[in-house]
Amino acid sequence: MRRGLVIGFLCLLGFDIMAQLGFKYAALAALPVSPDAGWLLRVLGQPAVFLALLGYIGAFFTWMSLLKHAPIGPAFAASHLEVVVILPFAAVLFGERIGAWQMLGALGILSGILCLALDEAHGDEAHGDGAHGDEAHAGPA
Amino acid sequence: MSTLAYLIWAMNILCDTGGQLAFKKAATVPGDGLDRWTAMAADPWLWAGIAFYVGEFVAWLAFLSLVPLSEGVLLGSINIVLIMVAGRLLFAERITRLRLAGILLVAAGVAAVGVGS
Repeated sequence: MRRGLVIGFLCLLGFDIMAQLGFKYAALAALPVSPDAGWLLRVLGQPAVFLALLGYIGAFFTWMSLLKHAPIGPAFAASHLEVVVILPFAAVLFGERIGAWQMLGALGILSGILCLALDEAHGDEAHGDGAHGDEAHAGPA
Repeated sequence: MSTLAYLIWAMNILCDTGGQLAFKKAATVPGDGLDRWTAMAADPWLWAGIAFYVGEFVAWLAFLSLVPLSEGVLLGSINIVLIMVAGRLLFAERITRLRLAGILLVAAGVAAVGVGS
């Protein structure tokens, strides 16, 4: 069971990263951005957009499967970990520079997510309620 | 970060928050199993949520066209804070001390990324 959960979390992380990379590749390929149908058609015509959609769908089904067995607290935290794990991908694939402020921000966000995860886990123990905790999950951001 | 990027970022966050709240509202329909799904499909809130998500999808693509991926993903984390605050205001969800600490840390993290942008 434990091994299955670890594999499930890694899959979730993989799908989330795939979605974000798909978004970025599609966005770059459709430059310049403009508020018109031309840009929208250009961006929707990029194969990478489907990578993003596939990542979304994969993440959704992995998340729903994980919630059947995983404690909500750690699941909640893991579902947001791509926020930090994406940084080395951005540096390597897109040559982005991760500055000190970004590192500090990432640390703050990660600490905040851990607090929220601990609260969810504690709430489940106290109330036996596993239904909440996913309200902030899902979505491109 | 340009003014346009800030505007698109705000639009993305608003769509994300609106979408999550609409889904939450749709998910509270009574019933079980297929009846519940049928009731949800007939609920305008579900379709409002889907419309918000389409808007969010487009806004996120536009946002990532203007900012680096690492910066965009970190700035987008503010949705965690807004959705929790909106959940408190609209659905009377509890905000414990630990949740408040988490919200403040995420907000501070996003602010730090914003300062460095």
